Amino acid sequence: MTETTENPQTAATAPAAQRGLIPLPLATARALLLAGGILTTASTFLRWTWTSDFPGDLTVNGYPGGLQVLTLIAGIITALFAVSTYGVRGLGWLLPARNNAPLVLTALSGFAVTWYTVISIAAELGGIVNWEPGTYIAAVASLLPVIGALAFPQDATDSTKEALKAYIAKADHVPAPQATAPWIQRLAITIVAALGLTVFAYGIDAEDELFIGFLIVVVFTAWALQTAGLFDRFSRLTADNRSFALAMGFVAAIGFPFTQTNDHYANLGVNILIFGTVALGLNIVVGLAGLLDLGYVAFLGVGAYTAALVSGSEFSKFSGVQFPFWAAALTGAAASLVFGVLIGAPTLRLRGDYLAIVTLGFGEIFRIAVNNMDGVSGPDITNGPNGIPSIPDLSFFGFDFGQNHDIAGFTIGRFANYYLLMVLISALVVTIYRRASDSRIGRSWIAIREDETAATAMGINGFRVKLIAFALGATLAGLAGTVSAHVTYSVVPNPYQFAGAAPPNSAFLLAAVVLGGMGTVSGPFLGAALLYLLPEKLVALQDKSLLAFGIALILLMRFRPEGIIPNRRRQLEFHETGQLDVPDTTTLTDEPAITKAGA
Amino acid sequence: MNTLPQQLANGLLLGSMYGLIAIGYTMVYGIVQLINFAHGEIFMTGAFGALTVYAYILPDGTSMVVAVPLMLIGGGIVSVLVAVGAERFAYRPLRQAPRLAPLITAIGLSLALQEVVRNFYPGADKDRSFPSLDGSHDIGSVTITDADIFLVVAAIVCMSGLAWFVRKSRTGRAMQATAQDPDTSQLMGIDTNRIIVIAFAIGGFFAAVAAVSYGLKYGNIGYRMGFLMGLKAFTAAVMGGIGNIYGAMLGGVVLGVAETLASAYINHIPGMQQLGGSGWANVWAFCLLILVLLFRPQGLLGERVADRA
Repeated sequence: MTETTENPQTAATAPAAQRGLIPLPLATARALLLAGGILTTASTFLRWTWTSDFPGDLTVNGYPGGLQVLTLIAGIITALFAVSTYGVRGLGWLLPARNNAPLVLTALSGFAVTWYTVISIAAELGGIVNWEPGTYIAAVASLLPVIGALAFPQDATDSTKEALKAYIAKADHVPAPQATAPWIQRLAITIVAALGLTVFAYGIDAEDELFIGFLIVVVFTAWALQTAGLFDRFSRLTADNRSFALAMGFVAAIGFPFTQTNDHYANLGVNILIFGTVALGLNIVVGLAGLLDLGYVAFLGVGAYTAALVSGSEFSKFSGVQFPFWAAALTGAAASLVFGVLIGAPTLRLRGDYLAIVTLGFGEIFRIAVNNMDGVSGPDITNGPNGIPSIPDLSFFGFDFGQNHDIAGFTIGRFANYYLLMVLISALVVTIYRRASDSRIGRSWIAIREDETAATAMGINGFRVKLIAFALGATLAGLAGTVSAHVTYSVVPNPYQFAGAAPPNSAFLLAAVVLGGMGTVSGPFLGAALLYLLPEKLVALQDKSLLAFGIALILLMRFRPEGIIPNRRRQLEFHETGQLDVPDTTTLTDEPAITKAGA
Repeated sequence: MNTLPQQLANGLLLGSMYGLIAIGYTMVYGIVQLINFAHGEIFMTGAFGALTVYAYILPDGTSMVVAVPLMLIGGGIVSVLVAVGAERFAYRPLRQAPRLAPLITAIGLSLALQEVVRNFYPGADKDRSFPSLDGSHDIGSVTITDADIFLVVAAIVCMSGLAWFVRKSRTGRAMQATAQDPDTSQLMGIDTNRIIVIAFAIGGFFAAVAAVSYGLKYGNIGYRMGFLMGLKAFTAAVMGGIGNIYGAMLGGVVLGVAETLASAYINHIPGMQQLGGSGWANVWAFCLLILVLLFRPQGLLGERVADRA
């Protein structure tokens, strides 16, 4: 029996206990990583195939196109991380925890996107005869960083499986960042906002193969940044400069239509925004107050139908009535509020499970009722399955939303107009969400969610605050519904169901909130963007999308119930360890490092 | 002609079907306080299991007297396997999790089961025809079919069997103990995990019985059939008092009768001429649920008070 295995500290510091999965000297591993990254980058300037039949035109020497651009970006990122391991000044921030996972994951990102491209060239054009020398170089070059990264030494583990797991694990401890000047912090936020806009605009324009490649690069890179601890640092940065970060996010959102030349993509944008805003409203109900609302889309429907009825459409029952938009929006929101209170008042006195079923029932009843109210099998109000078509475009102070407008040399089409309107409404909803969640009522919601008995004992009127959450959520959905009625020209009963192949429906909304992260602002928007774009872009997935979501919900609840962007408090609740919520930035080991850096 | 007896009979039959499904909700809820939202889909898979036996295993032209019991067994096996599998792999890992987690899992499970059947069962993207029993008998002014007789007999046999099982058998008493206090009953040597599995299995089997009667009665089944039936059966369980097996049956019958009478007669009420017919039946069932929750939240037979979320 040896003494060293008894003492973990000795084991961790002993250099013999550290080794790479692939036995290579550290210098070779680093060199492989760097050389591979640079070679991959360079290989995209060669031609990969001889015919322009493959989408994106990969036939030009010296000018990367289509999927090559993604390989190029992945190669550059790999190379940057590789340079950072040499300890070059100015790039140290890329690897604050000095762990291996970001190296492995960025290398994998380049490898995956390159090999995906290479294989789909062979598959689509019929065989590897369509490969050029450049293709072979790219394939080999992208493999090098993976070998290099897996040769980086790490703590020894018992089995290969555990070693692989350790290579993609997040750093245990990310050192606190050095103090930086406020202008640097703001600059960083601005750059991230610009990058985010670029990535989003690129992704929304990408089709088919390009979109899959885009997903590969984005997922691996985001994962790499997360394991490096950069997301944690960035969220701390935004927490310190909250107003500035929100303003930058708003500016980036407004900037989106100016990056688009085709109004179709603005249409995707406005739909994602509507979907995301409604999901954020649902997040108040589900994420903050912990009430499961399974018929949320019905409130969107109430808003949309109300707006359609008073829009002045000739097919509306009240075709003579044409409310100005502000009045229609208020009417729609108020109608949703009334329904929210009607549904909520009897059920919120009971345990939460009843609410789930009653809202589910309400969602279904709404659709059935609207479907029946065509004058034959019910009162003549909603035109039945045909819905209310030809809803006129909005017009503010002579600004017609149906027309193209030229702003500073950019042409802003119909959907882009609505997109900009929706950005304003989203900003309003985000503000309401943030103000409400930080207020006395918001804290009551969280208290109720955590433990209703204890909260009631502390003097919180559980029924009242739950009803407020439920009614507020309903109102916001109604508000978003009024815009969506104008965007889509017509309202029909069919989209307002519990589960369907395309958003919005209640199951998708809930999935967006859960996937993105319950109780956060950005989570529902991220979830909405993902859930909207994936079936839209990957036609093959459309038929199976509900199956995939069903399974994804089960797995998420099992393995990562806090979603992609976790709310800190929520995360602790889901992974109860009995620990107190202690800030993890100032542990004793950090202190010397900070003073040294500050000196 | 007076249609009231016929409508009452229809309501009773529909109600027995709701009651059979409601048992599954109420037993699981009574023991683990979980709404097994996917129970409607367990009902649906039972119907497809029975159809598999009839359409792919039995030779053509098998007499229905032989086929129906075998279909019951086939549907029962599928439903019980799905129910027990859901418990083992989806719900059990989440037993200590916050309340929202198993509910969301249940929704995911429900979507996944529907889609698995739609995508992978041959021809299930549309309704599939199911062998029906349509020999009819006139009793006074009431006409009932063979399928109706099967449903009534099955419901009575299942319910009395369950009542005996829960009251008299050792496992049944262990079940009552677990429902009252899982921690203490575990200390008394009851394997609570086994009891929970048994509750899921019984619920699954009853759902399969309901599914076979549904198929025999209506003659076709589809992958979406579990959604509304499950919702209504849950309503029935709540109306009867969730956690109470007799309540589930009573709630089912009350709901079935109320729904049938509402769609038959509500258009005779002045001012509501256009709100009758089957299109509005679900609306009335739902309104009934809201009324019950307003005035008697513990349900018709339930002693369990509405406790915290």
